[in-house]
Amino acid sequence: MVHLITEAVAFGWPFLVLVVGISFYKQAKTKDAATRQSMRFNTMVGLVAAFMLLIAVVNYRDNFGTSDGMLPISLVMITGLAFLMGIYFTNIGALMKIGGFMFFVAAALSGYGNWLPQVEGGFPPPEVKLDFQSMTSQQLADEGEKIIFGGLGQSKVQGAIGKGQCPLCHGFNQGFLSERAPNLWDIPARSKERLKHENYHMDDPGARDTAQTEAFEGSGTATTGQEYIAESHACPSCFVVPGFGVKGTNDKESPMPRIHKPPISLTIGELAAVDTWMYVREGVESPAYDEIASAYEKFIPEKDRPQASEGGDEAAAGGVLATGKEPITDLFMKAGCPACHTIPGIEGATGKVGPLLMEGSNAPKRLKDSGYEGRAKSVREYITESILNPSMYVVKDFPDNQMPKDFGQKLSAGAVNKIVDYLSSLEEGKDIPSLEEFN
Amino acid sequence: MGRLISGQTRKKVLAVTSLFVMGAMLTLPIFMALPALAGGGAPAAGGPPPDVVAAQSGEGEGEGDKVEIGRDVYYKTEGPAVGAPAPKTQDTEEFYPRYNFESRVLLWVANQQHLYYGSFVLAVPIFCMCIEFAGLMSKDKAMAKKYDQLAYDFIKISLTAYSLTAILGGILIFTFLTLYPAFFGYLSSIFRPVMHIYALMFVAESGTLYIYYYGWDKMKEGLLKWLHVSMSVVLNVIGTVLMFLANSWIGFMMSPAGVDEQGRYLGNIWHVLHTALWNPLNVHRILGNMAFGGGVVAAYAAYRFLSSKNDEERAHYDWMGYIAMSLGVAFLIPLPFAGYWLMREVYAYRQQMGITLMGGLLAWLFIIQATMIGILFLTTNYYLWQALGRMTGGERFQRYIKYFVFILVVGLLVFITPHTIVMTPAELKAMGGQQHPVLGNYGVMSAKNGGINAIIMTTIASFIWYQRGNRIPAVKWAKFGNIFLITFFVVAHVNNIWVACYGYFIPANVRIGLSVPQVAGTLSCLFLGSALNLAMLKQSKEIGPIQWGKIAPRSQYALIMLATAFTWMMGLMGYIRSSVRLFWHVNEIMRDNSPWAYTHTIGFAANVISFNVLFFWVSILFVFWLGTLGVKKAPVSATATVPSAPSPQPAPGH
Repeated sequence: MVHLITEAVAFGWPFLVLVVGISFYKQAKTKDAATRQSMRFNTMVGLVAAFMLLIAVVNYRDNFGTSDGMLPISLVMITGLAFLMGIYFTNIGALMKIGGFMFFVAAALSGYGNWLPQVEGGFPPPEVKLDFQSMTSQQLADEGEKIIFGGLGQSKVQGAIGKGQCPLCHGFNQGFLSERAPNLWDIPARSKERLKHENYHMDDPGARDTAQTEAFEGSGTATTGQEYIAESHACPSCFVVPGFGVKGTNDKESPMPRIHKPPISLTIGELAAVDTWMYVREGVESPAYDEIASAYEKFIPEKDRPQASEGGDEAAAGGVLATGKEPITDLFMKAGCPACHTIPGIEGATGKVGPLLMEGSNAPKRLKDSGYEGRAKSVREYITESILNPSMYVVKDFPDNQMPKDFGQKLSAGAVNKIVDYLSSLEEGKDIPSLEEFN
Repeated sequence: MGRLISGQTRKKVLAVTSLFVMGAMLTLPIFMALPALAGGGAPAAGGPPPDVVAAQSGEGEGEGDKVEIGRDVYYKTEGPAVGAPAPKTQDTEEFYPRYNFESRVLLWVANQQHLYYGSFVLAVPIFCMCIEFAGLMSKDKAMAKKYDQLAYDFIKISLTAYSLTAILGGILIFTFLTLYPAFFGYLSSIFRPVMHIYALMFVAESGTLYIYYYGWDKMKEGLLKWLHVSMSVVLNVIGTVLMFLANSWIGFMMSPAGVDEQGRYLGNIWHVLHTALWNPLNVHRILGNMAFGGGVVAAYAAYRFLSSKNDEERAHYDWMGYIAMSLGVAFLIPLPFAGYWLMREVYAYRQQMGITLMGGLLAWLFIIQATMIGILFLTTNYYLWQALGRMTGGERFQRYIKYFVFILVVGLLVFITPHTIVMTPAELKAMGGQQHPVLGNYGVMSAKNGGINAIIMTTIASFIWYQRGNRIPAVKWAKFGNIFLITFFVVAHVNNIWVACYGYFIPANVRIGLSVPQVAGTLSCLFLGSALNLAMLKQSKEIGPIQWGKIAPRSQYALIMLATAFTWMMGLMGYIRSSVRLFWHVNEIMRDNSPWAYTHTIGFAANVISFNVLFFWVSILFVFWLGTLGVKKAPVSATATVPSAPSPQPAPGH
């Protein structure tokens, strides 16, 4: 308060001097003693009022833009002053009282606004150009979470919205009420079931009676779960989940905007990140970046594909051991696999700490092992799981916790994909494939 | 007979003909300059003719001057991309020059002030037109004079504010040009074909208004009076077109059309104007302006009442305040329906935009809006109860007021109870779910509808009381009518409450349909109840006269409260409408890359709204005060029971 008083004096002393000067001048002109006494009293009241007004103004000046709820107090002070002045300056009494009352109403409403929970929209996501292709699955998933919810860890926050704006309509958690659009929990598995839905008409878009039958002429329908997800994003009206269509259209038209079009305008890279998050958060193996991108390219014609904005920061995939663009031998070397594993066909890969990576033959056996508790169903899924989550299944006679568990962060999706391609091709009794095929 | 036709009717025919000629001349520029209106999509000024475009696109492949064909983002039609793409701005001084203050707030204030004054000066001539016409048609000479004087008082206030509107318009443009040059440049390039029409319409509006105002005395009788009334029609046509043109800018910013995805103008100005939200915005704004204008005039009357020095002035301004308040509330009642239409169109245009408004980031602001609506109705009721005090016989109703207060307060509390709310993680954890464990069960839509319908029905009942204040129905069926009226209201309330409670036991999607019987009950009370009451009062016994001016001064604060609340709500809803674009200057076309491209907290917004409201009222109270300086010298004519006021005098400074 002392600070405010000092500030008020410093700010408004010319005004106070002017008030005093005028009142002295008027008093000097008045000859009647009684009138002069009354004027002195009025001057005192006016000065007090003016001083308090200055405090209110300074409070406004200093606290404008802060959210400490102090501003309405200024208005209340002005209200009191206005009424006070209305009493003493009767010629403008009505004006002052009305003004004071209005200040009171505005102060009350302002106070109400400050009393309610304060939600700030936050800045829009910066337009940065990310190299999604070089990211690891985990990095992609992290970017996906940012796009959907606006930040890392925000998927657990109710009301969090990111650039994709998905949570405005979709629920994401198991059992979460999702009235406007389907809940997306378990979508990796459900996407495959959707293809069998009677209204989907796989490979026969002409049989659909929806507002739009194909993403664009000749695009066809999805044939895999990932393609279904891509088609749902690029052409929401191609298939509408029963009960979620635009009201009155009998589920022939979806209310969802096309994701690659404004206002959302996600690039294929961003869409790959979003999809990867939906796989990774459920612990399901995510398709490789290229596979997801191909799915989207099937449904989004080249001319309609949004481009990442220019001029932003080139966000490098920091800390990545391998991007997947390297020749296969270099890739293994960068990842450090030969240090522990023997990998047929890779020169120098003779490590003995870990098992021999003849995975085309090993993986089917391990999947049938009674001790296997992982989620993989195929050779490729098993290898991916072993890289990303090595403790899920530990080969007999080999120690646990030897292999690093952060390959999800250290290898790009493309690199993992390339490793899986190579290792799955290695089978006992078969020739080692040519390395050229994998470069 | 022939003489009769050649008398009064001839004057009317001449007046109407003159009106059409004036209207045609004034609106001619629009039709001249908008070939797209008549041509159904042909390029307007700024774009080459379609044949040239076709020729260029057909044979000019590979040549440098080829005009590209773009696809309209809304209408999906194709057209020549004759405009430049929307600029891709960056957070630099080049795109966003700035002072040491938030540019957005400066523009917000400049815009809001212009809008307040603009709304006021566009709304008041509509009142004038209605009141002057009522005076002209009145057979009672005293009443005719009274209405004429009231209309004149209204326009006088408007005229004083008119020049301020123009000044604020200039300040707004300078603010735009100074702080957002790229954005303003882009909008100007899009609206170039109609910008000069806007300016011309403004000149026409000013000219008509001045003739209308200064010609009041000269054109007070006979044909000239009809011409004068006709001019008010022309004035309002021009004003409405002006407002529609101004609205097209905000319509374009919210729901752009007539441009392609890059924001390039496609040569069809009608598409640019006629965006998805243009018409709902137009209707909403007309009604909003009227309610707001009524509020401002009521506040003016209250000010004059409170500063009156004699009974005659008090009587006149009491009556003026009552009329202005009635007009304002009359337009307030359909406003929610226009609001529903606007929101429906918003949802139809972009569902996520609607959800951001009603169930997302901006949802808390609608809780404030609900509170404001409650305040407006409570204040209206309070004024009506106070107004009973100036009638002999009004005291009969006083003892029931406490029950009305109870219904209104309970209705308001139910109406503002939130259901699903946006929360922080800590709040969510503390609450154990999306909904409050207790309140969450109560704040369902059917119950909230029940709350507001109970409030509206109570307000209707207060109006009926007011109409009966000094009268007792004397029709033969008065007893039956009273029983019917009471039963009707009781049944409507029971139906409303029962449906409100029933909503707790059924799913949300079924619950939505319950609003129909609730609204039907309320509208029945409004139309049937009011009509029946008026029919009963056609033959009535008057207990005593209405003693205009004998109302408690605190009633005038109710009028001021109404005016302030209208102003605040207008600022709030304007903020909501504007901030729903989030980080877009032009939704989905031109991104806002300024440092202020985020949505403020509710508290900050409330503070700025309050500042805007107070700035407007301080300035307009100053204008009112200036007005009284001129009136003091005017002679005062008075009659015993009819409220009177000073005879027409030009407003100071004009």
